[in-house]
Amino acid sequence: MATFLVLLTAAATFAQEPVDFDTQVKPVLRSCIGCHSEVLTSSGLSLERRASILKGGNRGANPQLIVDAVKQTGDLKMPPGRKLSAEQIAVLERWVAQGVPMPDAAPGQLQAKRKASQHWAFQPIQAGAATASIDGFVRTKLSEKKLDLSPEADKATLMRRVSLDLIGLPPTLPELDAFLTDLKPGAYERVVDRLLASPHYGERWGRRWLDAARYADTDGYTIDASRDIWPYRDWVLKAINDDVPFNQFVIEQVAGDLLPNPKEAQLIATGFHRNTPSNQEGGIDVEQYRVEAVADRVATTGSVFLGLTMGCARCHDHKYDPISQREFYQMFAFWNGVDEMDKESDLRKFNKPFLEIGDAGELKKFDDWQRETTALEFKVSKVAEDLGEKAATDEGLKAMRKQLSDMRRARPKIVRTMIMKERPEARPSYIQLGGDFTRKGAAVEPGVLAVLPPMEVKGPRATRLDFARWLVNAKNPLTARVTVNRMWQEYFGKGIVATENDFGVMGDAPTHPELLDFLAMKFIESGWSQKAVHRLIVTSATYKQSSKVRADATAEDPENRLLARQNRLRLDAEIVRDAGLVASGLLNEKLGGPSVYPPIPPGALAITQVTREWPIAKNEDRYRRGMYTYFRRSAGYPSLITFDAPDGGASCTRRMRSNTPLQALTLLNDEAEVEFAEKLAARILKEAPVGDDAARLRYGFLLTLQREPRAKEAERLLKMVSRTGVEAWPNVARVLLNLDNFMTRE
Amino acid sequence: MLKKITRRHLFRDCAFGVGKAALTSLLAENLMAEANKGRHHEAKADHVIFMFMAGGPSQLELFDYKPELVKWDGKDTPEAFTKGKRFAFMDTSFKDPSKLLGSRRTFKQYGGNGMWFSDLIPHMASCADDWTILRGVAAENFNHGPAKLFVNTGSTRTGRPAMGAWATYGIGSDSKDLPGFVVLQSGPRGPRGGAVLWSSGFLPTSYQGVPFRNVGDPILNLSTPKRFSEHEQREALDAIRDLNQMELDETGDDEIATRINQYEMAYRMQSSGPELIDFGKESPETLAMYGAEPGKGSFANNCLLARRLVERGVRFVQLYHTDWDHHDDITKPLDQVAREVDKASAALIKDLKQRGLLDRTLVVWSGEFGRTPMGEVREKGKIGRNHHIDGFSVLMAGGGLKRGMEYGSTDEFGFSPTGDKMNVHDVQATILNQIGLDHLKLTYRYQGRDFRLTDVEGQVIKPVLA
Repeated sequence: MATFLVLLTAAATFAQEPVDFDTQVKPVLRSCIGCHSEVLTSSGLSLERRASILKGGNRGANPQLIVDAVKQTGDLKMPPGRKLSAEQIAVLERWVAQGVPMPDAAPGQLQAKRKASQHWAFQPIQAGAATASIDGFVRTKLSEKKLDLSPEADKATLMRRVSLDLIGLPPTLPELDAFLTDLKPGAYERVVDRLLASPHYGERWGRRWLDAARYADTDGYTIDASRDIWPYRDWVLKAINDDVPFNQFVIEQVAGDLLPNPKEAQLIATGFHRNTPSNQEGGIDVEQYRVEAVADRVATTGSVFLGLTMGCARCHDHKYDPISQREFYQMFAFWNGVDEMDKESDLRKFNKPFLEIGDAGELKKFDDWQRETTALEFKVSKVAEDLGEKAATDEGLKAMRKQLSDMRRARPKIVRTMIMKERPEARPSYIQLGGDFTRKGAAVEPGVLAVLPPMEVKGPRATRLDFARWLVNAKNPLTARVTVNRMWQEYFGKGIVATENDFGVMGDAPTHPELLDFLAMKFIESGWSQKAVHRLIVTSATYKQSSKVRADATAEDPENRLLARQNRLRLDAEIVRDAGLVASGLLNEKLGGPSVYPPIPPGALAITQVTREWPIAKNEDRYRRGMYTYFRRSAGYPSLITFDAPDGGASCTRRMRSNTPLQALTLLNDEAEVEFAEKLAARILKEAPVGDDAARLRYGFLLTLQREPRAKEAERLLKMVSRTGVEAWPNVARVLLNLDNFMTRE
Repeated sequence: MLKKITRRHLFRDCAFGVGKAALTSLLAENLMAEANKGRHHEAKADHVIFMFMAGGPSQLELFDYKPELVKWDGKDTPEAFTKGKRFAFMDTSFKDPSKLLGSRRTFKQYGGNGMWFSDLIPHMASCADDWTILRGVAAENFNHGPAKLFVNTGSTRTGRPAMGAWATYGIGSDSKDLPGFVVLQSGPRGPRGGAVLWSSGFLPTSYQGVPFRNVGDPILNLSTPKRFSEHEQREALDAIRDLNQMELDETGDDEIATRINQYEMAYRMQSSGPELIDFGKESPETLAMYGAEPGKGSFANNCLLARRLVERGVRFVQLYHTDWDHHDDITKPLDQVAREVDKASAALIKDLKQRGLLDRTLVVWSGEFGRTPMGEVREKGKIGRNHHIDGFSVLMAGGGLKRGMEYGSTDEFGFSPTGDKMNVHDVQATILNQIGLDHLKLTYRYQGRDFRLTDVEGQVIKPVLA
């Protein structure tokens, strides 16, 4: 917004005054360095060192070209698509006129890179002493502050905690009873083993994996139509329940289609990276959204497996970490050969490639339909072509077109889940200048980050399968650390590295580095067993300690990073619902299958372009666990969103825990919640000793909080009952379902 | 440490009352230490009302007068104007060389500075002396979904916080019992993209825009369920509060104190919600000025509701009105949607002004992009316009801007800007600037990077500041 007057005056007065490189020139060069770096050298030009500037680029050795380019007077117009301000141009002009003064010994990026490769996260995982333990590491740090762990939580609290943490459901009363009365050694460990063997374990931990996979039941963007991706969701649940070794778990999701003779399940697994949103609106450049999805995969792979902010390198070299833009597109190349839509005619096969799932009869019906439809499509276009100008008025063609559209509508209903499949020939990959897919830079081949151990390539060219194996190679220092850190985060609220998706230079340092490596090493040594790591953590004294706030520890460690106590954690959105279903006795424990439609507040879906039906389940699907709720990207299920469930737009590696009045309104007033309260009240009245309000209240507490009421609590709630009698129970039940204690694992 | 002290302080000193907690964003109270970094400089405005015309209104039919285009009507577009540009529907619309399309509307000059408006929006034209019009604004993507995201979140990809979320994250809200960021909608359908347009992105969920309806419960789950009486509702709330207090004493977890406050705020929202949408106390003149009819879901009602929200301290109100996507026909369907918004848009400005609120409220009127100077023929006998991202107009009013001012310009056909270049990030930087926020300093660390609304760009459009 400068005026030329300023420029004129500036030129006249200050032309001779020496420019200061660091304060004046460097900020302007930031607009250029994205492409003209040592690494990218667009048009052969690097602006990172004086020597390379003087050497020039493809157009020759003439620094004056820089000025001409930014002035945009000739054919060379820089930066592309916009213009620097008059002041900025003036700075460069003076700088070039004064002979490009700059401290040549400061190849900023390269130096930063060397330094970054010394960063802790890129060093090999260190094996600890044989006697090492979680508690040992935590106690050592605590003792530096003259603190120790808190005493173990009482048995009921512990039972509720470990049950919610491992399977996402509170314990049933018989389960609680069994634990409270089991005084033999190993009682707790037996509970842990039982929970880890429960199919609900896969639901609890699978849902978190689905967060990272940006799972949703619809396409996103504007049309936001349904997609069949729940088979992938079910694959995740089963794999986690089966404790499929994590390395194999990753390989199948990243490159299951490239395994020799892949099984159906291994193809379904590749849905992981097909969970990217897809745009079906009219007038799009199909290729643009394909590129967008591929870039998302690189960024998601970075944050989920490597704990690196790869996305930063899409437009320019990473500012802090040793990730160049070239390396971003080398990783991009791994997905660039997937047979996805890249032109308008592909929109007919929207979201291809698919895997059709069904029994033989269904599949045959579908195959026949597909063949006939394709044949008719071909015929229609041929006839239209032959008719030429007469096509618009031809009745026969009109009839054929109608027949075709009827046939398209009559697609036999089979499940078509989205998978990965390579094209016969890979698309060439290029560096996209400034992250713009229309601006092709140098060609690149698939490859990995130079700062990490090299990838073993089996064939002539690196494939996605090579890449997947590289991700989970035991020498890769990041994947195991990042994964165990996310598990730890679920148990304590924060990871050992608090920035769970940024292990780079700008991320937080681990509070307990040896502990992180200890867990990572155990993970690998156990054969990448997630259950082994869960067992290790939940059987530690660190995990089992009380969550009561301690004044002495708070003074030393206000955020409880050293873990002198457990943390109270609000339940995940889905689990708030699940706990209500369990308390009211309504829970339908069915595993998997298509997503379901529990009651939804009226008007909740009227916020999107296309109004879609929400056929509220009248049958037992009304009471399925929260994680099976159909999730629309453009209008997520309100109570899930209100309790911080991710919206599936991008990978989520850590959920927020907000505390808002909308949450209160949901638990107080939502139709689903009212139903829970009524059913819970009915259950209390039916199952507790008749006529004994104190016993009823005790039973209500056990059903919701899995503990006895304290005297004060009982007195307070019995006051409600004494005023109105039996009719008070639905409201008392509602109180229990709204308590902070109810929605929190202590 | 700060966070803890703040919460304790809040809880002890404010008990269950409104107190200081209410001075921050209602939905963000538990995060206020993190959030309430405060303004970076003196604010010129306290509130923003963003009227989002979803679909891309044709600036050429409304307020970007191009007599030269009328002269060239039906002629081929000189190649120099379209060279190197990308358009939506490239495959369908540009098989044949497209012809220029002059507007059929009648334009007249209004106000002290002779601002041009067409006969489609006479009421908006009558506010000429209050508008600040930016011409030749550029967007980044020519498809509705990404373009809407861009105007709202500064990025064409999902996952970033919306402007209203940034605003409340930066300076909270003055409302005691309403969310700081409210979203209203009207028109035949919701805006394309839905909830992602008012998402809190990577910011805490507390800053998410809350959709209000002007029919039924203004907020989902706001009413006490039929199953329970109001007396029972209060009785339950009292018991929840008392038991939560006991749990707080037992565990010492400050999060419970926050929860107690949130339940009380929920209760206050329950009582203030119905009052908010009750237009009973509005004068017949006011209702007539907007064209508002109580109980009807319309843009007019939303404009009146927006004023009422601002009066109650809400920081950021966004109104969506859909159906501006006129590919097929730039005549009757456009007339229709213009009629739906013209009167109420003007009424909102006049009403804010007569109540002395316009000085402290920044009003914005814009779509996600504008439309092409070329015509588009999808059906014989009809002509529309395609999406165009290089030079659309953004109307603003009040909130410390110069009034009756036009800034920027486009070429004789309306293809490209001829004056200073402005893009959506500049508009965003300017909006934040007016409410006391520096777009370069309003950042949030996520995935190792300090993100901001304006990404890596954006300059405050200084010439329009009063």
